[in-house]
Amino acid sequence: MSKIIENLFYSKNDEWLKDEGNNIVVIGITDYAQSQLGDIVYVEEIKNEIKINKGDVLSTVESVKAVSDVYSPVSGEVVEVNQKLVDEPATVNHDPYGEGWFVKIKMINPEEIKELMTSSEYNDFRKE
Amino acid sequence: MRYIPSTKEQQEEMLKEIGVSSFEQLINNIPNSLKLKSKLNIPSALSEFELEENILEISQKNANFQKFKPLIGAGTYRHFIPEAQKALLQRQEFWTCYTPYQPELSQGTLQTIFEFQSYIARLTKMEVVVPSIFDGASAAAEAILMSLRLTHKNKIIVSKLIHPHYLKTIKTYLAPHNTIIVEIPFENGLTSLEHFKQSIDNDTACILIQSPNFFGGIENIKTFSEIAHQKDTLFIQIITESMSLGLLKSPGDMGADIVVGNTQSFGLELDFGGPHNAFLATRKKYIRQIPGRIAGETRDKDGKRCFVMTFRAREQDIRREKATSNICTNHNLNVVASNIYLSLMGTEGIRQYSLLNAKIAHYFEKKLLETGKFEKMCEYSYFNEFLITYKGNDINRLSKILIDNNFVPPLLVQKFYPDTSLQNTLLFAITEIFNRNELDSICNLLSQ
Amino acid sequence: MRLIFEKSIPGRVGFSLPTDLFDDMKIVELLPDDYIEKDKKDLSEVSEVDVIRHFTKLSKYNYGVDDGLYPLGSCTMKYNPRINEKLAALNNFSRAHPLAPIELVQGSLEIMFKLNELLCEITGMNQFTMAPASGAHGELTGILLMRQYFIDKGEKRTKMLIPDSAHGTNPASAAMGGFDVVEIKSNENGTVDLESLSKAMDEETVGLMLTNPNTVGLYDEGIIEIEKIIHEKGGLLYYDGANLNASLGIVRPGDAGFDVVHLNLHKTFSTPHGGGGPGSGVIGVKSDLIPYLPTPLIDFDSDKNMYIFKDVGSKSIGMIRSFWGNFSVLVKTLCWILSLGPEFLYEASKNSIINANYILAKLKEYYKPAYDRFCGHECTLTGREYKKYGIKTLQIAKRLMDYGYHPPTIYFPHFEPYADETIMIESPESEGKEILDDFINIMIKISHEAKDSPDLLKTAPHITPISQTDDALAVKQAILTYDDELQNKDKLNYSEENINF
Repeated sequence: MSKIIENLFYSKNDEWLKDEGNNIVVIGITDYAQSQLGDIVYVEEIKNEIKINKGDVLSTVESVKAVSDVYSPVSGEVVEVNQKLVDEPATVNHDPYGEGWFVKIKMINPEEIKELMTSSEYNDFRKE
Repeated sequence: MRYIPSTKEQQEEMLKEIGVSSFEQLINNIPNSLKLKSKLNIPSALSEFELEENILEISQKNANFQKFKPLIGAGTYRHFIPEAQKALLQRQEFWTCYTPYQPELSQGTLQTIFEFQSYIARLTKMEVVVPSIFDGASAAAEAILMSLRLTHKNKIIVSKLIHPHYLKTIKTYLAPHNTIIVEIPFENGLTSLEHFKQSIDNDTACILIQSPNFFGGIENIKTFSEIAHQKDTLFIQIITESMSLGLLKSPGDMGADIVVGNTQSFGLELDFGGPHNAFLATRKKYIRQIPGRIAGETRDKDGKRCFVMTFRAREQDIRREKATSNICTNHNLNVVASNIYLSLMGTEGIRQYSLLNAKIAHYFEKKLLETGKFEKMCEYSYFNEFLITYKGNDINRLSKILIDNNFVPPLLVQKFYPDTSLQNTLLFAITEIFNRNELDSICNLLSQ
Repeated sequence: MRLIFEKSIPGRVGFSLPTDLFDDMKIVELLPDDYIEKDKKDLSEVSEVDVIRHFTKLSKYNYGVDDGLYPLGSCTMKYNPRINEKLAALNNFSRAHPLAPIELVQGSLEIMFKLNELLCEITGMNQFTMAPASGAHGELTGILLMRQYFIDKGEKRTKMLIPDSAHGTNPASAAMGGFDVVEIKSNENGTVDLESLSKAMDEETVGLMLTNPNTVGLYDEGIIEIEKIIHEKGGLLYYDGANLNASLGIVRPGDAGFDVVHLNLHKTFSTPHGGGGPGSGVIGVKSDLIPYLPTPLIDFDSDKNMYIFKDVGSKSIGMIRSFWGNFSVLVKTLCWILSLGPEFLYEASKNSIINANYILAKLKEYYKPAYDRFCGHECTLTGREYKKYGIKTLQIAKRLMDYGYHPPTIYFPHFEPYADETIMIESPESEGKEILDDFINIMIKISHEAKDSPDLLKTAPHITPISQTDDALAVKQAILTYDDELQNKDKLNYSEENINF
């Protein structure tokens, strides 16, 4: 059973979003996503301060047997990047909701959060 | 038939177990309108003896290449191949086996690939080696595609002295890309540095120089790569005669970002042009953009050192349309062949043989000039292949004399470079397969 | 096993030199100082005896077709006839320089010319190019010539249709050809969904790439309809010939309306796999695509009474490799076709189809098939039911090694919901019934083990020199050369047992 955290929002591509207030959100990938990938060996570097639109590819995560794109669930500007993932990509496996975060984005359109799933909706979505 | 063991009885037994009364029932989903109504119109099966006679007869329509020695290189060179290598290649475990996707059953293949990668890394002073792309031409094209991905730029500069087939192949591969291809001319048998300086700009993704070039000339790699790097352009060196790596300065030390090397000279037969093999060597920081397969070291569950295909997430079976290349099957057995060759030659052998190649080629040029029938085409430095101009009138007669004496004539350069100034110019390649007497006799023949 | 570098002893030599080393020529006078590498490049120093022993030992860590069944679906690991090897290695062929005057290589040209004739008859196509070096290389060639065909017609087509079951090289090649890939779903019969295909096909689409039988081993009977759908909108039909072993003498892609065909000579036509090549991916086309083929082709000039190289012309896509093709592979192919003739080419396909259906019939109650219907020359089973015992399909494959078998193809093809945890088994015509019976019995035995003693599978393989490689570690440590290993020596800290086995 993969772990799902309440109070976070979820996308259909298995990204999670945490609202820190002031239009800043934290983005990562879910426990389900990391378990599907297996041992993550590489996370493609994300450039700080880039402008991103909802649905754009933020990064690529590579495991031994698979590669997966990480999409941004919201539009805005990247304000902080988790450097830990460069040297320790496996952090995403161990702690996908905590230390395994990818980026912080300053949203330009906070309404976009409403288009995401709640934790119970994501739970149903992934239950199949 | 001796390659199809199951007897009629066994086939019947199997059909019974499957639950059908005839084979036709197994293929009745194939539309009747498409099924062949009669036998294929090809010759009836030959016995093994008949096949051998048949093919031997065809082979005898070739010159007796056991005797004939090539004075021509132009991208593929006849070198001596030790018998120990040929004997080892006979081992079926090396050549009947499949791609090493199951490492537990393929350590032979995987370790051999790893050793080859190690040898090439040392010969080129590069960090990462893709051991096998089909040939130098497709490898050069893949190197360019790689540089386009890395730089996100859309212009490339290519010397007119890279192998003409390689240039054609590059253009074919680049056709879907709208890449601007700037070809730079040559002077005195070398790529024009002046034209290069004029053509390069901040939009240039890479420059390709072959060294030794198609005319055999050794290019000033260091200068070219320095200028390239000033503009954030990748420098790609092409090598068609890998034996040169035994003597000449390593591309890695000269600033190459990617090296593409045809390894036919390392233990592979001419084979009428293929299959040969080429490596693509580069810097570790570009590892995720390399095409093709690569072997890496790891451990098994008991801690034993072993080898696996690695960095596979770039490849077609995982990435599909986002793969760095579509390469699946490569020329693996030729990697094994070259690896065994390099093991036999070793540090000393490669050095001695490459020295010999350079000396013997220069000796022959000296003797040709002494006949008075030839003159130097250009004052460049070369390894084992050189241009020379024939002063006589009938250059075709020269070819005929050589053929009559069991030599494949040198390349008539006009065949690839239809410039009137090159009308009487020949491209000779001399390797260790010749001896002094032979070379002296050839000069005698040609001086008449 | 120890690396050759670890066996290196300074002063050992594995080569010989002639007495005359041309010492009268001084290298310092021939080449400028800064072109020459002062120091020798350090490779290894071992004797010929050492090399023989090293590679003999290494070879024993491999498993070849001569060792036993290689039930790899989609790979057609059939017997590699010895006479073909001998004939391809004849000096007159192996020592022929590709740029020798054509009067010296009439035999080589005749081989290529004759092979073209035979392949055209076998496939129903009009002309082959022998240039492509592999199936994927052939795909790229075919895609580039299809691209040029439409450019020549003044039509702008940007998409390529590819079934979800396709081999990964298909979309990869299409992308290299500059096309956007549109995926077409397979239906519950395992074949292309005609409705989806019809919706997707339009005048901006180049056409469809199809393997037939497809990658799950089923002949797509919808081909007649498929051909109409594609051609009606002016598109082209591409045939991935990886599975031709089910069709020899039975049905021809040319007759089914395919415009471009690639063959994998190292699959269907018995040439050796070589541990990953060299093979050959020759491309055959219908007449109206001949002008776009790579140049040159081999022709027979009846005036001069000789074989010649013929330039394809200004519409040719150019060249896709240097020289003319993987010649020795072409010789072996010709030998095989001549050895089988029409009667045995048919027998080859017939036996491969019977073999696959026999395995399917005997194993289907143990490994649920992806599709419960007769198959072509390969069958697709699945390891799905064993998930509940905590067993992955990979573990079933690894356990097979303990019984002396190379595993079948696993996890390919993969498309939801049918082709999941796939085990694709192909046993070509060169495998006799008793081999299949033994394999079947072992597979059944393993299916019991999966339930009764799953640990045997989880810790497999046991009898191979190494077991369960750490693939993630390989990427993390990125040791790709011996020098990488030396640089990381302390961190790796290998013990004697780790290396010497």
